[in-house]
Amino acid sequence: MPAKALVLAGLLLAIGGCGLRRQSASPLGLNGAENREQPALSGDGRLLASLVERGGRTTVLLQERRSGKVLPLRHLKRHQPHSSPSLSWNGRYLALLIQRGARREAVIEDRASGALQPLFLPGNAEPRRLSLAPDARQLAVELTSQGSTRLQIYDLSGLLEPDLAPGQRESGGGPGVEP
Amino acid sequence: MIRLLLSAGATLLLLSGCAGGRLRPLPGLNQQLNQLGQGRSPSLAGGWLALIAARGNGRVQVQLIDVNRRNPVPLPGLNRPDALPISVAVDQNAERLAVVRQREDRTELVLYKRSLQATQLLPMEPAGVPRQVSFSADGRVLAVEVSRGGLWQIDLLEIP
Repeated sequence: MPAKALVLAGLLLAIGGCGLRRQSASPLGLNGAENREQPALSGDGRLLASLVERGGRTTVLLQERRSGKVLPLRHLKRHQPHSSPSLSWNGRYLALLIQRGARREAVIEDRASGALQPLFLPGNAEPRRLSLAPDARQLAVELTSQGSTRLQIYDLSGLLEPDLAPGQRESGGGPGVEP
Repeated sequence: MIRLLLSAGATLLLLSGCAGGRLRPLPGLNQQLNQLGQGRSPSLAGGWLALIAARGNGRVQVQLIDVNRRNPVPLPGLNRPDALPISVAVDQNAERLAVVRQREDRTELVLYKRSLQATQLLPMEPAGVPRQVSFSADGRVLAVEVSRGGLWQIDLLEIP
């Protein structure tokens, strides 16, 4: 579907009083009659990842938020169902859960290098949800094991280059600190 | 010889990158998280972690953690005894938290401003039932998963 049609398909509505602007994510199916789940925005709000059905399989989709343009993901056409997408600040990294055999596995696609980075979680707990820090220095993982759920935070600084907001310092100020 | 060693080192680095990485847990912080009870729905941004924690006494609350100091930060006025949080998202300054919560017989989306210690209801228009939220780190855009007319849809809200 042409990008223009996708833009038109998005519903823009200004709400008086609180100044909130609404837009529905550009639909892709006929008349928008398609499930879209688990939205995740890049830190700068430019990109939107979500889950859609492709050939009966739940697959991650990456789009530009405003135009609806679909962006390619090199490694994520297989290993469905996908779940829990999470994007870094500029959308360089997309973290998500994939299915590999009988196991759920956390991976990160680096859109800059084209590499898929599997993340080996310590222990036998099953990952259920991810949140990638916008600067890509840390990953929060919701884990389930024997009926209980817990959160763990992992350091990614040895694995990934940071994906910083423009003007943000490489180091020395801590995450989120402006120069 | 030195060139050979450098080349071998570079090859090893490349190989280790392709083979994936074993994640390094943050023990002090993770211990703190375990003390909060069963945690779910994590949202990391700018050195802050928002989550939903269920304690042994059955209380389910939104919690905000300062990741660098490893301690919880109070959220006065956000958690209510008659509301069950379902999903939470935080912006990088931890000024805004978006929460989907069940209250009485309805599911609602609220925006909490920490400096004001106040929540604002964000109605779904057209009507729908919100389930999950995601903030852009700059806190300007909110993506909401909404059940509407038998479908799951995504609403995007630009917040001034």
